[in-house]
Amino acid sequence: MPSEGPLLSARGVSKGFGAGEARVEIFRGVSLEVRSGDFLAVTGPSGCGKSTLLHLFAGLEEPDEGAVEVGGRSWTGLPPERRAALRGEAIGFVFQFHHLLPELTAEENVALPLFLADAAEEEARSAAREVLGRVGLSGKAGAFPRTLSGGERQRVAIARAVVRRPRLLLCDEPTGSLDAAHARSVFDLLSEVARERAGAAVVVTHDPEWAKRCATMKLLTPNGLTGV
Amino acid sequence: MGVVALAALLGLTLGVAALVVSLALLAGFQTHIRSRLLAETPHLTVTPAGRDAFTPADGLAEKLAALPGVVSVSPVARGRIWISISGRTAPAQAVGRAGTTGLVLDLSQARPLGAVAGDDVTVVSSRTRLSPLGPVPIAVSMAVEKVVPASTGRREPEAVLPLEAARRLFALPEGGASAYEVFLADPRRATLAARGVVDALGGGVSATTWEEANRSLVLALKLERAVLFATVFLIVIVAGLNLAATSAVLGATRAGDAAILAVLGAPPRTVARVFLAAGAGVGILGTAAGALLGTAAAVVLDATRAIPLPAHLYSLAHVPFRVDPLELGAVVVLSVLWSFAASALPARTAARRRVAEVLRAV
Repeated sequence: MPSEGPLLSARGVSKGFGAGEARVEIFRGVSLEVRSGDFLAVTGPSGCGKSTLLHLFAGLEEPDEGAVEVGGRSWTGLPPERRAALRGEAIGFVFQFHHLLPELTAEENVALPLFLADAAEEEARSAAREVLGRVGLSGKAGAFPRTLSGGERQRVAIARAVVRRPRLLLCDEPTGSLDAAHARSVFDLLSEVARERAGAAVVVTHDPEWAKRCATMKLLTPNGLTGV
Repeated sequence: MGVVALAALLGLTLGVAALVVSLALLAGFQTHIRSRLLAETPHLTVTPAGRDAFTPADGLAEKLAALPGVVSVSPVARGRIWISISGRTAPAQAVGRAGTTGLVLDLSQARPLGAVAGDDVTVVSSRTRLSPLGPVPIAVSMAVEKVVPASTGRREPEAVLPLEAARRLFALPEGGASAYEVFLADPRRATLAARGVVDALGGGVSATTWEEANRSLVLALKLERAVLFATVFLIVIVAGLNLAATSAVLGATRAGDAAILAVLGAPPRTVARVFLAAGAGVGILGTAAGALLGTAAAVVLDATRAIPLPAHLYSLAHVPFRVDPLELGAVVVLSVLWSFAASALPARTAARRRVAEVLRAV
């Protein structure tokens, strides 16, 4: 991936659901470039399509119009196997809810992206322990998600998202399920870890207060992204 | 493991166990029948071709005994007789064997005559001898030595009488035989041995194996086993379909986890493999548990003689169970393969779900 080019590029992206008279346009004409070191917030009211936009960035959905490129490679026309490989290699994802696998320990959950990339088990576990230490959970490596608090689970999810040092960290309402005190500490941690281990980060949130804490903030409207 | 998966596991375990026990029961009975058949039927019967009987000049007993794999060779005199006792007469197929001291009747032959051990009977042959009054049937008097349970496999039971008496009845020369009965070290090689006999002795003899002599019974036993296998395997098929339903439920309930795997970079085939492994894992576990349970049940039922049989009706005192390793292997392999097949489609469906739609729903 060329380092001087944008890590994420969206050009004239439109998305809607349904067909005919039942069709609902979510947004159109979204264009954006995210470069190395960017920490971008995308905000907007609930239901404006922020999560859908993030899915388009991650290649989980196809835009109706326009194109999305990650590290100069377009998602369009990419076969499923290569799409999965690019996603695993270039993108880390943090969801509103942690989405940890309940049968795996915190360490195994964090190591999962490395296991999926065929890393050696000990190497993967060692990297997972290192990142868990970075998010303040070195003592919880062997704990199962059900025994962790909401904040701890989200920290594990952040560790999982950055364990492969992704070029792009995509966060979908990362503090949405936490109380104010935990939300603040998790958001601070996310900002730090994103700077240390990811090329750039895009955070979608409906809360302008969290959006303001990011370096750049954009508002998603039906006609595209506007600077705030 | 959830309740649904546990139910599928239990279903498969019981299905495989039922199949193993059923096959062990059938194998037990069939092994007994085959061993009786092998004890009652000579492994090879060598008869003359183009003439009635062998003579001592043929030297056949020595020639047969010299062939590889032959354990024993016995001359027999075979023919049709009438048995007469207290005014009742019945025809019978008979064979004269060395070592027999009286008339040995099959239960089905003794019953219409009302004959029991110790009774004196008159045996009349279809052959005649010349007397001053002209040709008269050859007749011999002897005692009934014993009455034995009904024989296995033969279409018509044979009464057994002393060889010398049979030679007299069937007008055979001194030392003559209407056939030689050959027992082999390995009865499974009877067909090969029969070919060897004909090759070694030329065209004057023909050799019939024990399997040829009981062809219909041997075929019936094989067919019975195949039909039972197919019928009881239906239980495993149904249990496998239950596994397919379980896999589908698993795919639906864990769709969120599948989506997360996709987000983390797992290609669809990896996601499919995870779900296939989950479904087939239940299949392998259920099959292993069922095979163990069924084998243990069969071994215990046989060792403890748990199911007795009325000895006067059967030649067995209890229901025998015998686990055939080959059949057990076939059950395990087919059940595991079916588990994989049953889990494959739900796994494929789970892997092909649209990730974004799943993420919106969770």
